[in-house]
Amino acid sequence: MSTDQDLVVETVRDILAGFEPTVLTAEKPWDAGLWAALAGAGLTGVGLPEDDGGSGGELADAVAIVRTLAAGAAPVPVAEQLLVAGPALVEAGIALPPVEEPLTFALGDAVVAHASDDGDGPGRFTLTGTVTDVAWAGVARHLAVLATGPAGPVLALVDVAAVPASSAANLAGEPRGSFVLDDSAASGALLTSAQAERLRARFALARAVQLAAALERVLAWTVQYAGERQQFGRPLGKFQAIQMELAQMAGEVTAVTALTDAAVQAVEQGAVERGAVDVVLAVAAAKVRAGAAVEVVARLAHQVHGAIGFTQEYRLHHLTRRLWSWRDEAGSELHWARVLAGGLLADGPDGLWPALTRVV
Amino acid sequence: MSNSLTLAPAPRSEAAERVRAEVREFLAAELAAGSFTTHVDTWLSGVDPAFSRKLGERGWLGMTWPKKYGGHERSAMERYAVTEELLAAGAPVAAHWIADRQSGPNLLRYGTEAQREEILPRIAAGECFFVIGMSEPDSGSDLASIRTKATRNADGDWVVNGAKVWTSNAHASHYAITLVRTAPSDPANRHAGMSQLLIDLSLPGITVNPIRILDGGHHFNEVVFDDVVVPGNMLLGEEGNGWHQVTAELAFERSGPERFLSTYPLVAEFARRVADSGDPAGLATLGRLSARLLALRQLSLRIAAALDRGELPDIPAALVKDVGTTFEGDVIEEIRKVVDVTPSLDSPDPLGRALAEAQLHAPGYTLRGGTNEILKGIVARGLGLR
Repeated sequence: MSTDQDLVVETVRDILAGFEPTVLTAEKPWDAGLWAALAGAGLTGVGLPEDDGGSGGELADAVAIVRTLAAGAAPVPVAEQLLVAGPALVEAGIALPPVEEPLTFALGDAVVAHASDDGDGPGRFTLTGTVTDVAWAGVARHLAVLATGPAGPVLALVDVAAVPASSAANLAGEPRGSFVLDDSAASGALLTSAQAERLRARFALARAVQLAAALERVLAWTVQYAGERQQFGRPLGKFQAIQMELAQMAGEVTAVTALTDAAVQAVEQGAVERGAVDVVLAVAAAKVRAGAAVEVVARLAHQVHGAIGFTQEYRLHHLTRRLWSWRDEAGSELHWARVLAGGLLADGPDGLWPALTRVV
Repeated sequence: MSNSLTLAPAPRSEAAERVRAEVREFLAAELAAGSFTTHVDTWLSGVDPAFSRKLGERGWLGMTWPKKYGGHERSAMERYAVTEELLAAGAPVAAHWIADRQSGPNLLRYGTEAQREEILPRIAAGECFFVIGMSEPDSGSDLASIRTKATRNADGDWVVNGAKVWTSNAHASHYAITLVRTAPSDPANRHAGMSQLLIDLSLPGITVNPIRILDGGHHFNEVVFDDVVVPGNMLLGEEGNGWHQVTAELAFERSGPERFLSTYPLVAEFARRVADSGDPAGLATLGRLSARLLALRQLSLRIAAALDRGELPDIPAALVKDVGTTFEGDVIEEIRKVVDVTPSLDSPDPLGRALAEAQLHAPGYTLRGGTNEILKGIVARGLGLR
């Protein structure tokens, strides 16, 4: 990690320290104060070019911010804005909304986009259809949606401030509502199917990064708890049975971190250097691996914490409920497992090993 | 998380990718010529001295060692690529595996100049094979409880009595690096008083008794030492330093791709089946297994890169071996849930044979080289719990 990145992470940590993790409800679906503090420090534009209204910096800086916020269970749409919607809009040549205004991303497989002008480049579209599972619906001011047009995928940007969102939430209470779009005006751009696939992968990468960070923190919390909690006159961590569970958690977490790091690196290096398909496969693998670790890590974390971890008053659920949600968001674990296997077999029945050694 | 578990990412090595391509070409030609057939777990069961010599001729043994000892002064990343390709192909690498992986590096670290000059070039040529003389009939995970004893005679030679077990391929090997007691066990310091001897397996007084594993294969042995006179100059390292040396040796033993690729030939066979059938459940399983395997590769590559930096990452190596060997066994269960195949060594279906081989070898994956319970204990130490 570079010194600049250390500084950014330090700033995020300092800000985060002023905000307790909250139990999210329909009345309080996010932390507006935390968002304002992050935006005030320019952190909601990191990784986005200054010319487009961002704060500059690299993907790695944005990843570092997302990791820090995910580990802190911060209820703000930073992963969607910095890792998915923001870069996608910039790449497609669509004007970025002000980075102080929360922006989210959704897969709009059932949304049809029609061009309302005749330009070839980025232009005006109208969107019709229902977009479901929208992260931060009702909170985000702007929605970047991957829709379908007559000529192929369309990335469209809609102002959803005035569009009613259905109330739905994931297992952690994070808003995941729907919008019904009916001839809604949007700016947008046509994407190639390869670009659309990469965008889906970007979304999955965001969740993989969040999962990795949350898994690491859950391990750290559990090790700490096992060191403090005394039973039978000893800390829990002195019992071999508990040590075995913590070691198993550490194995899972370490594997996830290594593969997620490799996927981030593949995305950084990009399609030209690494091959467009391999970048997607690297991300697919990271998302599947991170998701698979959730079962073990969350289960054992709760087991070691005992009954206190099963309560809303204790901090553990802020991360475990997110883990249980994030593993099937941005494309389910099953979806990405099939994408990965299909991609690895693209060169034929004997192609698995060459593909495995090439992807990451 | 604790820094002692986490290693820096491995940089991509162009040299490793070049040698990988050479190995792949060699293996394709050998397979086409019928010089070997693919099997599961061949680093235990695939003994083929002629194949080992071919690898030696191509410079793929002793790769990281100094040239003056017959080595090739290449990086651990290059060696990683070579070993990984051989394992993935299910090639017969068992004859030289131990010598190349750990006995050679152990000699480089602790051997005398004469021992190195005498033995290392023969290992690198694929002509000299080693076994591990650690476990005993009454000493498994509790290695410090070994009883095989060596005492000095009037000529300054060592007289060895005792027995070692699970010595893979002792019947086809030349030397055993043998952990012995050279001083009585001291309850106050259980790790003191042990030494390593370099024992020529053709010496009088050595009996090698076969121990068959579940598929009937003869790989394991009991090696009995009955007043075996070992020349005094065959002490490896320092007298009394055996425990420390063994621990360092285990770091090499635990860090490589054989700790997650033992059942890879089964995965490859399964992938062929899925590619043919397009079965969605099979695809999903292949995706999940591949994701686990890719993560293990990243961990193992990080260890190779750490070895290139001169580190001996024993705690991360224990972690990879725990996660990796668990994967080796899980592969069987995950695959059998989605294929309609009966495992049998006599199956006409290659997938049925691979499942059978993998299954009958499965208990070994999480035992050899330190049980997963011992490994988790080491990881727990890395977490600061002990």
